[in-house]
Amino acid sequence: MLSERERERYKRQMMLFGDDGQERLKNAHIFVAGAGGLGSPVSLYLAVAGVGTITIVDMDVVDQSNLNRQILHNDRDIGKKKTVSAAEKLIAINPDITIHAIDIRIDEGNAARLIGNADGIVDAMDNYPIRYLLNDSAIKKEIPLFHGAIRGFYGQATTIIPGKTPCLKCIFPKAPPKEVFPVIGATPGVIGTVQATEVIKFLLGSGDLLTNRIFIWDGMAGRAEEIHAERIPCCPACGGITPEKGGKKQ
Amino acid sequence: MIVKVRFFARFRELLGTDIPAEPENGATLLSLVRALAGKKKEGYDAIFDEHGNFHEFVIVMRNGKRVEHGDAGTVKVADGDEIAVFPPVAGG
Repeated sequence: MLSERERERYKRQMMLFGDDGQERLKNAHIFVAGAGGLGSPVSLYLAVAGVGTITIVDMDVVDQSNLNRQILHNDRDIGKKKTVSAAEKLIAINPDITIHAIDIRIDEGNAARLIGNADGIVDAMDNYPIRYLLNDSAIKKEIPLFHGAIRGFYGQATTIIPGKTPCLKCIFPKAPPKEVFPVIGATPGVIGTVQATEVIKFLLGSGDLLTNRIFIWDGMAGRAEEIHAERIPCCPACGGITPEKGGKKQ
Repeated sequence: MIVKVRFFARFRELLGTDIPAEPENGATLLSLVRALAGKKKEGYDAIFDEHGNFHEFVIVMRNGKRVEHGDAGTVKVADGDEIAVFPPVAGG
């Protein structure tokens, strides 16, 4: 049941999807991997939308060089755990939701436990090895993975529904080389809000998800484009699963 | 024969994009991209290794379908093809 305060808080979006939609958001649990450039806008917009439970995981400490883009954190947070800073901001912006902020490095041994019974995983990471781990977890748990990545003025996003759409390994079978990437804060702003929009549409069960296509943002050209993507039958991550088989790997 | 080659992200910064090309009959996807990227060394090096093969992370698509690197040297381009060459970005 929504409280009177919640009804007032969400009035302008409940014009779009009513009590039923808002209840869906309230009852949802989303796992956000990373509290950095992408994790900041994603978690902020999921929080203000009223997603009832958000788990946000990061292992870093706020550094001054983060502040051009990681808008969850500010100058006073330098030296603080990002999870502590994130939890403070998210609860302050919406005290009616539950935040689990976990200070840990995601790895093969803990990913399944950390994600728990979440309804979806947001990829707000900065490296492909952990992205592939999130991809595997999404496949095993049969929940969507909302992928985003950025560099400079460029960004990409896609929504992965295991068994139905190409997975991250189908689309990007090999990780690009590691680098200290250049970026302006507005780029994760664009991609993070695309990811948050995808999560909200998925939870509401409405709209066309960004599936089987990669959204490409070229901020320098002021242009958004799409690249079609297909499943790879022999994909090492999702090759054996089909929606008819319940999405489980055979 | 006219085909269009679209570079994305860093490749676009180095080489431009939506490049119309008129390859000779029999040109392969690999030979076409090599020829276009070869106009600028930094762009070529971003896409190809020292043996002239695509870096393993480079995504190559022909009319929306991903082409395996191993096939790029034999897949012939056809009139009207749209080739996309794309580096996944990693930051978050």
